[in-house]
Amino acid sequence: MTKRYVLVHDENKCIGCQACNVACRSENNVPESVTRLQVRIEGPYGNFPHLHFKYNRVSCEQCENAPCVKVCPTGAAYVNDDGIVSVNENKCVGCLYCVAACPYKVRFINPETRVPDKCDFCKDSRLARGEQPACVSVCPTQALTFGDANDMTSEVRRVLDTKPNYQQKVNLGTEPRVYRIPSRRGGIKA
Amino acid sequence: MNNIWGSMEQYDPVVWNWIIAVYLFMAGLSAGSMLVAIGLKWYRQSRGLPTEGLPVIKAAAVIGPVAICLGMALLVLDLTKPFEFYHILLNYNLTSVMAWGVIALLVYIPLVFVFAALVFEKQVLHYAPWLAGVLKVCGLLEGSLNKLIFALALGVGVYTGFLLSAMISYPILNTAVLPALFLASAMSAGSAGNILVATLFFSKKESDCIEQVHRIEYPVAFNEALCLVLLFVGLNFSGPAAQAATAAITTGTWASVFWIGVVGLGLVVPVLASTFAPKAWRHTKGFLITVSCSTILGVLALRHFVVYAGQSYIS
Repeated sequence: MTKRYVLVHDENKCIGCQACNVACRSENNVPESVTRLQVRIEGPYGNFPHLHFKYNRVSCEQCENAPCVKVCPTGAAYVNDDGIVSVNENKCVGCLYCVAACPYKVRFINPETRVPDKCDFCKDSRLARGEQPACVSVCPTQALTFGDANDMTSEVRRVLDTKPNYQQKVNLGTEPRVYRIPSRRGGIKA
Repeated sequence: MNNIWGSMEQYDPVVWNWIIAVYLFMAGLSAGSMLVAIGLKWYRQSRGLPTEGLPVIKAAAVIGPVAICLGMALLVLDLTKPFEFYHILLNYNLTSVMAWGVIALLVYIPLVFVFAALVFEKQVLHYAPWLAGVLKVCGLLEGSLNKLIFALALGVGVYTGFLLSAMISYPILNTAVLPALFLASAMSAGSAGNILVATLFFSKKESDCIEQVHRIEYPVAFNEALCLVLLFVGLNFSGPAAQAATAAITTGTWASVFWIGVVGLGLVVPVLASTFAPKAWRHTKGFLITVSCSTILGVLALRHFVVYAGQSYIS
């Protein structure tokens, strides 16, 4: 069975501390002016006293049906065998078509390489060594779960099968591999 | 509120800028001028009228190659890696509209130069007599070449629309009307450009073919207006995100560009001018130059409006 790496962001457990953001920057040497990963704190929503914030993880969704890959004229944007949407820097001319076509706006031009950059689940570094992506391993509240969703015994499979979850912009048919567990309303009971 | 997660600069939904808008205009201008010139040639041939040395066809032979080459130069300079643009000529991903555009342009651009060389055969042979043999062969194939250029020009006009409509998350861009709108406006820019260049540089007294080009301006303007209406009425029926995007023509700077540039200069001025201007004016140089410049500016405004307003609304 082929691998299907997915990431689950539990918006109940997330506290918006940006440790993932910093760990990603450090692991992947992301230049200061740009970012592969942000957790945006949006809100407050609801009515007093039942207010809540939304913790919105913004990073590559690793779409199974990726618009960036479809529009790339040279095939520099491609889906790797492990399902991770990747960039072949040598084939890229920098037309920005993929950056414009991404519905989630998570691609950016790396000012050092002049090539589109984005989250790749740390595939060449940590994942290649059999470790979890930097954001997952650093998260202090264990809000992130990463793994192979095709492996029926994996933790990520269990989380997806037992907790309500959603994906962003499913109406576009992109089939994102980042899943989110929505925050419960009216406070969290231990 | 200050965000704590970092710079938001890279998340601007407007990724492609005015350089792309000008390229899309240039490609449309080139394709439109070829369509109009070859169409005029066929029209006159079918009536047994002479086609040699017509100012409009000479104008197209200038605009066709010059506009597309300027457009390509802009496009290459806008890449983040302009010196590695050749990769786009070596690698083709056929699900990408841009790759199909590259294929069409690779054939279209040389053929437009052949078209120009045949129109200005005497001048070309004067400076490059060694081309005589090649031009003779091209001259024999002229009929088929014109058909091929016409088909490729249609392709170039339409592809610039599909290039944008392939981006699924922008409601204004992601419609099937856009390629039709771009083709119709390419025809207006092409006919106006031909009239402008013909009037300025080639016209003597043969204003009759300018009149024939004028005749297609009404149907072309009608098609362009129809596409604009279809685009925005269609958006209104395509769900909340698309409905929100109709604000592009009611609020903000781009709404002014739309009403003053696209509708005013591009459609209202030319149509009113050709309908109500006194007969004595109609063939004066000043009138032809003013009206065609107005149309061209309108199409240029349309490309900017589509590129900027199109990317400003994301579903």
